[in-house]
Amino acid sequence: MSTTSRIADRAAAIPAIEREDVSLLLVLPGLFLFAAFMFFPMLYLLGISFTNARPSNLFAGGGFLTFGEATFVGLQNYAAVLSDGKFWNSLGTTWLFVATSLVLKIGLGLGVALVVTNRRVRGARYLRSLLIVPMGLPAIFTITIWRGIFSSAQFGLANQLLSWLGAGTVAWLNERWAAFFAYNVTEMWLAYPFMVIITVSALQDVPKELHEAAMVDGAGYFSRFLHVTLPSVKRPVLFASILTAAASFQQFLIPYAFNEGGPARLNELIIVYGYREAFQFSQYGQGAAIMLVAVAFIGAFMWLNVKKGRLADGVDEA
Amino acid sequence: MSLVSLVAEKIADDLRTLANTPRELAVEARYTVRAYRRGELSALQIGRTAGATAFAMLVVALLLFPIYWIAMSAISGTGGSVYAAGGFSFFPENPSIQPFVWVLGDLIVPALTISLNVPFSDLALVFNTPEIAFLDASDHGVDNPSDFKQYFVNSVIVSVPTLILAMCVIVPAAYALSRRKFIMRRKVLFGYVLFTQVGGGLGIASLIALYAMFVQVGLNNNRLALAAYYAATAVPFNTWLLKTYMDGIPVSYEEAALVDGAPPWRVVTEVILPLSAAGLATVTIFTFLTGWMEFVVAQTMLSADKFTLPVGLFALIDEYSIPWARFSAFALTFASPVMLVYLFAQRYIEGGLSFSGMEG
Repeated sequence: MSTTSRIADRAAAIPAIEREDVSLLLVLPGLFLFAAFMFFPMLYLLGISFTNARPSNLFAGGGFLTFGEATFVGLQNYAAVLSDGKFWNSLGTTWLFVATSLVLKIGLGLGVALVVTNRRVRGARYLRSLLIVPMGLPAIFTITIWRGIFSSAQFGLANQLLSWLGAGTVAWLNERWAAFFAYNVTEMWLAYPFMVIITVSALQDVPKELHEAAMVDGAGYFSRFLHVTLPSVKRPVLFASILTAAASFQQFLIPYAFNEGGPARLNELIIVYGYREAFQFSQYGQGAAIMLVAVAFIGAFMWLNVKKGRLADGVDEA
Repeated sequence: MSLVSLVAEKIADDLRTLANTPRELAVEARYTVRAYRRGELSALQIGRTAGATAFAMLVVALLLFPIYWIAMSAISGTGGSVYAAGGFSFFPENPSIQPFVWVLGDLIVPALTISLNVPFSDLALVFNTPEIAFLDASDHGVDNPSDFKQYFVNSVIVSVPTLILAMCVIVPAAYALSRRKFIMRRKVLFGYVLFTQVGGGLGIASLIALYAMFVQVGLNNNRLALAAYYAATAVPFNTWLLKTYMDGIPVSYEEAALVDGAPPWRVVTEVILPLSAAGLATVTIFTFLTGWMEFVVAQTMLSADKFTLPVGLFALIDEYSIPWARFSAFALTFASPVMLVYLFAQRYIEGGLSFSGMEG
């Protein structure tokens, strides 16, 4: 008997559980666990968004996945939300935050990556591993530290810097745009290690020959950056930008921990707005409607990027 | 125990590299000086290299300044509250570890009396263990230590079940996704990858419904239910991560084992799992840290006596009477072990983070 036919026999002798499609069973427990805590609540959230649920009526009467004594109100919550100025302010602030923080993140990430990949810099490897230290810090740690930095008291690091420069102190978290600025700086610091890692690995993939050819042609540093470096790193940086923009859109912890999206609810990013409506003002129904509108936006954004950015291609290869 | 020795080896490797750095620097400096003397290198070029390096170091120092600030605040020992005035100095004048003592509180193993009854007789063996005091807070002038230890225990109660439950579903799924072709395989994989990017926001968005469901079955304020939730959120990213490791194991190893007559389950336990030890270690760390670092859901679900460390940390910042030094010490004690572990695991996911196989 030849080796090949023995292997074929062996393959035929594999019990049913090993047959190809049945392998789905190995994935199902994880998929089920994930669905139980992610998709199920999503569906229930959709249900809640059509009722006038509040803690007082939703939990009356007991029962699981029921709506208690809350009554069905149709699209009333959505109508109320969409005609509320606070909602539009929140949505506008969120998109503004996405735009400004994205510009800052790309700028800082690209700048730092260019500095540490410069061929004249010695010990770049050590600098790079130091640079990504913030990535390993728990988000709540980083954000409470930055809240201390932007503390309105004289003692806050930002105010110490201002008074050292001779300017007065600023009540960072009590003023709308000062607080918005503080959010942006913190978001930038949270996200820059990710941007730096992606940009550095893209920069290292730029062929040396291209730079050398451009230098022979007499191109200076700036024009080499514009015509050689930038086109080569465009795609990875674009890819990282999409992901980090989605993260900015869903930013919750920074505004919540800084000043609960204040002052006067002006800086509530969309998720914070929904969270506070539900848990601090007991409007479960409206909170659910806000969250679902936000999810629709994230979904549309990701779908567009998957279509346009061909995000799915990599998964097929993987 | 091969995993432990593997980790120890890697750490030793890192330390060796670090210890060798000064020598390498000296060699390079000597080389540069010699080249300069021979006129192969102009002073301008040396100056440019030194300038570029200094500039890069300055950039890194500026970016990491907040961490330095918090470390200095923690040992400054000054008593001002979070909102009190007080200048920053690069090196505090009277450094003190008292804030850290406040965080940890007493570390005392109390005196115990252990008695063992000898069966079928009236005899008993009685042992008295002495009290072992690692750290007595009152020695350092701390009367009211923080609740760090209680939060720590709560975090362990949440994170360990998270880890066990998540690993039980992640390992088989990663193996199947890596080695078998079945219906829905690509859809599941794509869904998982997509979710790793939008997971955080979706989690908070569905929190209203999740909270309602937990209340309806009376499981809000239950640490084990929270652990199950964390395990669920850890599934997509970690399954995908472990799958990419297993992809790196050559199929020929499995075929060799199959030819030698190993049944399929032994191929998995003898070939796949040992070879993906590094990946398993990384995924273990990440699933553990899921519950260890999460804040929003824990804060919504748990009451004060069950707070985990992140919630405890956040509760601290709103207490106006807490001196900033003590707050900093608390935050650092919570974050620094996480940071060290993460930095170690980092090398294993750098490949994943550059998304080598994910960009179009």
